[in-house]
Amino acid sequence: MNLDALWESRRLFELGFLFTLRLTVITVVTSTVLGLLVALVRISRVPVLSQLMRVYLEVFRGSPLLIQILFVYFGAAFLSTSGGLSVLTAVTIALTLYQGAYISEVFRAGFESVPPGQREAARALGMSRFAIMVDVITPQTFTVVLAPLFGQYISLVKSTALASVIGYADLVRQAQGIIDRIGSPFLVYSVVALLYFVISFPMSLGARYFETRTSRRGPVTA
Amino acid sequence: MTYLDYLPNFFSGLAVTAAVSGLAFALALALGVLAAVARQWGSVVPRAIATTYIEVIRNTPVLVQIFLVYFGLPAFGLRLPAFAAGVLALAVNGGAYLAEIIRAGFRAVPRGQVEAARTLDLGRRQTLLDVVLPQALRLVYPPVVNELVQMILATSLLSTIALNELTGETLIANAITFQTMQVFTAALVLYLVLTGLVSWGARWLGRVAFHPPLDVRGIRRQAPLRRFSFGRTS
Repeated sequence: MNLDALWESRRLFELGFLFTLRLTVITVVTSTVLGLLVALVRISRVPVLSQLMRVYLEVFRGSPLLIQILFVYFGAAFLSTSGGLSVLTAVTIALTLYQGAYISEVFRAGFESVPPGQREAARALGMSRFAIMVDVITPQTFTVVLAPLFGQYISLVKSTALASVIGYADLVRQAQGIIDRIGSPFLVYSVVALLYFVISFPMSLGARYFETRTSRRGPVTA
Repeated sequence: MTYLDYLPNFFSGLAVTAAVSGLAFALALALGVLAAVARQWGSVVPRAIATTYIEVIRNTPVLVQIFLVYFGLPAFGLRLPAFAAGVLALAVNGGAYLAEIIRAGFRAVPRGQVEAARTLDLGRRQTLLDVVLPQALRLVYPPVVNELVQMILATSLLSTIALNELTGETLIANAITFQTMQVFTAALVLYLVLTGLVSWGARWLGRVAFHPPLDVRGIRRQAPLRRFSFGRTS
């Protein structure tokens, strides 16, 4: 019976789940840092760098993640003499660049939601640029940023599935191996979908919570 | 052999990409309207079905959904070719996101608008068609266009079920010519051109079709509206 075979494969599901989780945790951190940096560059209007960031956003939001992953992975192998990047490194780079582009827009929207009067008032009080950013602007963006940021993390979890295409041993990859052994693709992929749901749905609820909290309190007004 | 010999293949891949996304998007719109209506105004059973559909689809990867349709459905006697499986999977996926966009759009029209219309003795039908719908459409249009762009990008995943759309053709060209940088750059540029054209066209349509003109400044650049775009991007 196939359910028995499925249960026997639980170790492989577990391994895949852990690999998916590992990639998710790594890229949540890296893409958030990248997104924040890009947003800061864009709102502070650093001359050449700002325009470069616009190009970066256009390219990474206007092309498919799969192409970006393949580009990084095969491109690195093509350019290097020593075999290129490991699968995990390649997929981390591609996912970070891709999600970082979207996350930077979330942060930028957050920064722009703070009324200019706040900055002016802080400057009138003689605060330094750095102190204004850290103590005045950033705390006020939290309520606006949290819900869409969580939304983007949900997208990130799901997009880690593409890592399987270049051979990262995540849930989808393990599922392919399990199907090769026991068959029943519908059953196996349903289990995989369920496992992603287990990670993603609580995050959706979290995002919804932040969203209702924000809309109840309303965005910060001057 | 250079990658330039593969240019015709790139363009045929691009045509497949455009065809799949167009078809899937049309189907997704229909599904989205249906699911939105069922979730917002339906009775208990349709609402439960619509809610389950929307939440399950939005919380699982589109790649797994594609595999379920292509590799999983044959278990139920439905053996779809790659093109049909791709259209079906992307339509079902996009429908869930569009449903939430449409629902949010209708909910965002202030209640006072409906009440005012009723006070002016407009019928239910007129209230919906002449008061609520035009306002909801303005709100819904930008995220719907964004959804179309996301769908175009998602078609690249269909290369994993051996559909020779743009990414599939790129992989073939790469395997044969080994000119990795040129091949992938060409694909990247073609995707950028396609998504760029779509958002440019949508911006133009927004200016022409809406009164007053809807200025969708950089639809793709627009920060994701809350509740409109949860976890979008495949």
